[in-house]
Amino acid sequence: MDNQFIFQYSWDILPKKWVHKMKRSEHGNRFYTNTDNLFPLLCFLKWHTYTRVQVLIDICGVDYPSRKRRFEVVYNLLSTRYNARIRVQTSADEVTRISSVVSLFPSAGWWEREVWDMFGLSFINHPDLRRILTDYGFEGHPLRKDFPLSGYVEVRYDDPEKRVVSEPIEMTQEFRYFDFASPWEQRSDG
Amino acid sequence: MTVPVTRKDLMIVNMGPHHPSMHGVLRLILTLDGEDVIDCEPILGYLHRGMEKIAENRTILQYLPYVTRWDYLATMFTEAITVNAPEKLENVQVPQRASYIRVIMLELSRIASHLLWLGPFMADIGAQTPFFYIFRERELIYNLFEAATGMRMMHNYFRIGGVAADLPYGWIEKCFDFCDYFLTGVVEYQKLITRNPIFLERVEGVGIIGGEEAVNWGLSGPMLRASGIQWDLRKVDNYECYNEFDWEIQWQKEGDSLARYLVRIGEMKESIKMIQQALEGIPGGPYENLEVRRFDRAKNSEWNDFAYRFISKKPSPNFELSKQELYARVEAPKGELGIYLIGDNSVFPWRWKIRPPGFINLQILPELVKRMKLADIMTILGSIDIIMGEVDR
Repeated sequence: MDNQFIFQYSWDILPKKWVHKMKRSEHGNRFYTNTDNLFPLLCFLKWHTYTRVQVLIDICGVDYPSRKRRFEVVYNLLSTRYNARIRVQTSADEVTRISSVVSLFPSAGWWEREVWDMFGLSFINHPDLRRILTDYGFEGHPLRKDFPLSGYVEVRYDDPEKRVVSEPIEMTQEFRYFDFASPWEQRSDG
Repeated sequence: MTVPVTRKDLMIVNMGPHHPSMHGVLRLILTLDGEDVIDCEPILGYLHRGMEKIAENRTILQYLPYVTRWDYLATMFTEAITVNAPEKLENVQVPQRASYIRVIMLELSRIASHLLWLGPFMADIGAQTPFFYIFRERELIYNLFEAATGMRMMHNYFRIGGVAADLPYGWIEKCFDFCDYFLTGVVEYQKLITRNPIFLERVEGVGIIGGEEAVNWGLSGPMLRASGIQWDLRKVDNYECYNEFDWEIQWQKEGDSLARYLVRIGEMKESIKMIQQALEGIPGGPYENLEVRRFDRAKNSEWNDFAYRFISKKPSPNFELSKQELYARVEAPKGELGIYLIGDNSVFPWRWKIRPPGFINLQILPELVKRMKLADIMTILGSIDIIMGEVDR
């Protein structure tokens, strides 16, 4: 199957310092790399004749606060020529700057802005790194695990000032947490 | 080719988040020189609701009502991807009947989405009549959905392992009647629109995207197929039971707005063909794999058979996601809608990343409107077919 072919081929041919771990599973094959080698790896994957992953589907940031390098950036890639998908993952902490892949994949422009906005990871050589989804004066990076679900401020229209103001949040009932662990069901592992 | 600059100072116009077209809250900051557009900058985020953060605190079943609010015109697709991702993660089997019902609902939703693309597209160009005509057909689809799922638009119908309830008696005949009626409706649209010289003048040659450029920018869906690349996830990925039907990928070569219009009209007709084949071939059997609601999750269990289906009410679901990651995708009417899901051995996902087609397709807008006239912006924006609900999430 072509999916396995380009994955196995790239794993065989790439220098080991670019890809320091690979994992295959039925849910998608992935390469783990570090932030210095990210750009050459994606450049290789995009332009090499036998891999030709020309489409960047998605750049996703994930937050694992228990790890030392707490963020992980996942690049989902697709090759339309070979009908294969590959995932490339790197780890970064709050101050690492990752090189931007906008020059390779123009669609990365907004994805990297979103990762910056939601997590706080900045990218070198990005033409326009600023917030994209949050409000104009928003402080904080919402998708980090230490940012609460309800946020810190709420907005309301203030009539004396004739504009919208942000104020600290006021919750009229406590946060309800449903996780449906039924007391009657016995789990198979106890 | 340089555009002669008629004035020294360029005018910056704000097409603010409120505007009469139905594209949603999108703010465009245009730099104009007379009628020519020099640059355009879209500003998003007016409809950002934190869907991804909410997903980290809800079980899949609790999250299903939220997902229809991403793409609120093609709601079945968002639900389909939300249940497909955990199903693939845990290798849950979906009964054959449920798969057919899902395909019928998905294709009806595709027709509904393309109809509600067509209306505002024509209204932005200037033709008001198709806007009313499409709602006639869309009301019929709403009636079908209401009979099967209980809701006209935000259905909450799909479940992990199937659908929530079976089709009511007589629904299949009504759906057949709708298919026959709709084919005459599409012919009416084509007579009214496709060879209309005013329409062609507005739309032909506007916003051309080449094939290589489309792949580079990561476009998907009708935008990619209109530029000559025959890439349709229903054929390529073979999910649900699309490979049992006989249909073709609709594609065009030119890459302009007219090509995108023709691709979408063609897709509507292909969807009707698929629905008719599915309705004729729908098998009997269970409509939901109820075993996945329990922790043990046995495969092919006898508790799913007909004899046990009506014994008691459905158990409350505690579907646990194991610690794996997965990227699942469907061919939504706007493009490739995907979910990147990282499970965490608990009922809540650790990361639920939504890959909206509109977000990516919108990125190419500043490139396309350079050197176009002001009036062409609405044509191009309309032909990209975005929904701010999924762009902003």
